[in-house]
Amino acid sequence: MDSENIGQRSSPTRKKWRKIAYGGMQPGYDDNHTDDSFLEDMIMNANVVKRNLLKAMLDSVSISQYICVVALVIVVWTCTLSATLNERSLMILDVGLLGSGFFVLLITVEMMSVTLLLNYVLKMAFFITGLYILSPIYYTLTRSISSDSIWSLTGSLIILHLFLHNYSGSTVRAPGALENPSLMSNVSLNASIVASLLIASRLPSRFHVFAVVLFSLQVFLFAPLVTYCIKRYSYRLHLCFSFSLMALTLALVHRLHRLIFVLLLAVFVFVNVICPYWLIRIQEYKFEINGPWDEAKLCFDIRD
Amino acid sequence: MGVEKHKILMVSDFFYPNFGGVENHIYYLSQCLIKLGHKVVVMTHAYKNRVGVRYMTGGLKVYYVPWVPFVMQNTLPTFYGTLPIMRTILIREQISLVHGHQAFSTLCHEALMHARTMGYKVVFTDHSLYGFGDIGSIHMNKVLQFTLADVTQAICVSHTSKENTVLRAGLPPEKVYVIPNAVDTAMFKPAQQRLCTDEIVIIVISRLVYRKGADLLVEVIPEVCRLHPNVHFIIGGDGPKRVRLEEMREKHSLQDRVDMLGAVPHAKVQSVLVTGHIFLNSSLTEAFCIAILEAASCGLLTVSTRVGGVPEVLPDDMVVLAEPDPDDMVRAVTKAIYMLPHIDPQAMHIRMKKLYSWHDVAKRTEIVYERALRCSNQELLERLSRYLACGAWAGKLFCLVMILDFLFWRFLQLWQPDEDIEIVPCLQLTRSNRGDETCDLNDNERSDGVHGRKD
Repeated sequence: MDSENIGQRSSPTRKKWRKIAYGGMQPGYDDNHTDDSFLEDMIMNANVVKRNLLKAMLDSVSISQYICVVALVIVVWTCTLSATLNERSLMILDVGLLGSGFFVLLITVEMMSVTLLLNYVLKMAFFITGLYILSPIYYTLTRSISSDSIWSLTGSLIILHLFLHNYSGSTVRAPGALENPSLMSNVSLNASIVASLLIASRLPSRFHVFAVVLFSLQVFLFAPLVTYCIKRYSYRLHLCFSFSLMALTLALVHRLHRLIFVLLLAVFVFVNVICPYWLIRIQEYKFEINGPWDEAKLCFDIRD
Repeated sequence: MGVEKHKILMVSDFFYPNFGGVENHIYYLSQCLIKLGHKVVVMTHAYKNRVGVRYMTGGLKVYYVPWVPFVMQNTLPTFYGTLPIMRTILIREQISLVHGHQAFSTLCHEALMHARTMGYKVVFTDHSLYGFGDIGSIHMNKVLQFTLADVTQAICVSHTSKENTVLRAGLPPEKVYVIPNAVDTAMFKPAQQRLCTDEIVIIVISRLVYRKGADLLVEVIPEVCRLHPNVHFIIGGDGPKRVRLEEMREKHSLQDRVDMLGAVPHAKVQSVLVTGHIFLNSSLTEAFCIAILEAASCGLLTVSTRVGGVPEVLPDDMVVLAEPDPDDMVRAVTKAIYMLPHIDPQAMHIRMKKLYSWHDVAKRTEIVYERALRCSNQELLERLSRYLACGAWAGKLFCLVMILDFLFWRFLQLWQPDEDIEIVPCLQLTRSNRGDETCDLNDNERSDGVHGRKD
């Protein structure tokens, strides 16, 4: 386009071909003339991020960490259903988790003040009271449905939850987090809540129901928040925490069932080793084309 | 050149009574091809009660096929549904070449496929630009690749559009011609007297949608009004973003400086254009932009975003280009206001007459037709191998679609042999009996324009 004005007037021999649409057919050139300037404005792979294997593997630890959390919840569910875990120890577990969760938040979030903490405690108290009042309803919620259906439904809901979960943030907004949760992560959270209610309705007493639902909701709502805060606080701590969680989960599952242990181990290998390697491998097929034909992006926000 | 006369079938979902760049292009191109002595027939889908065969100015025969549009004037893709009627039209009219228009016209894709099956030479004109990123584009590009895999020659309206089409469809660049749109300069004449420059009028005529940059206008107009107290805006067009523009007008109390005309019928565009000094185009994507040509032909100085094929459309001294960003747009408008005293609308109009003409477009298209007709005929197997190269899965699917189309065609040949189809008698519609034809007032106006220029 730079040569617009060159050769506008008479030139010695043949006029240079120009990339213009006006003025009719250019003398001496056909309409299908193609020269070096063809596709010169094309940009390839402009926005591609270079990834390295180690970084991808370390980032995938967050996923296996959350899979551990979910696996532990399922272990607790099965233990409660098979009566190896009574309601008293469940309540101790609940209180212990709540306490350690607050403790972690207190350490890792620097904006935490006494009033904010009181606010949290007050909300938590409301939440627990509400749950206690509702637990008789949950207890009889699915009485007319067979246990098989409940188990298969719970299984699919948990898989849905894992697929849609927001692994890079927290659905419950962390203090100081910038963006709001997406629709998908909300769907995921709701799936997990429904799954825990379904499981709870299979339990023998109202107090069991209350204890299990409280436990599951604590984990599904606040575990991502706590792990997110840990990750923000120190990456090394996050890695240590994740690996110890993985070891704990594997040990517990090993005691529970051999085959599931092997499956879980395979999932960890797949998530932490095979997937990152795969991602790096398929990077070379990345082919992104940009050019003058792209729709221009507005550089300001549209306020509706 | 021009010894051999062709019988051309233009196919597109977009035609009169709809209005737009493609519709205009087909209409004017057909008119000028008829003037060159070719026979042109247009095939499009039915528009409400406009069904059947109609004649337009100059004996342009239009088949409004009773096929219902389902979204944005597009027909439902049926793959094989159009083959029987397509075959009948091709044989009845003794067509020698099929010319399809616009990449997102379903009818065009289907017609080109059937025409290739029946062994006709096909030419395709692409009027639009597409990205490569989103799902919609990926799908459209695959469809385009299917159609263009076997097209004899392709035409694009600008060099940017050619680059885009070559990338999208994987065609060899030598097969793609660049033939721009043109403007009916006789219809878009500048005002008789030069407008007074005490008050500068900036005209915007476009659909008020996101792609045409209506959001950019919302940012630019208040700023320009603040900087230049003698500027007045006239906005023609309607669309979902009109509310935003009206909000902007309220918010900055510009009611007396920004006029909103609502939708402007194409026949009235010229009368709006001649009331202004500067034409502002804020499109975010544009393959060619006929609106700029119309404005320039009316003697307006154009300010436009530098997107798509727009930089190729006008010489540098007739247009001020800006990046699609409010600050740069305001700067460009300011520059245009300072350039204004040196602009002579009449001189610009005369210049436009030399730069663009539909007759030139028709002559260049004629060359493409001749090249297409000179290409060798190909067997089904040869063509299938080209489809197979379109992709691991898509290639096989495309082949299957083509084989079924071929079998369906053979079946139709058995069912109703070619000899049984009545051939249309050749009518010589000369210019003298123009008044007898059934055509709308609007067509008459347009045809007068074309005549006026030729004489």
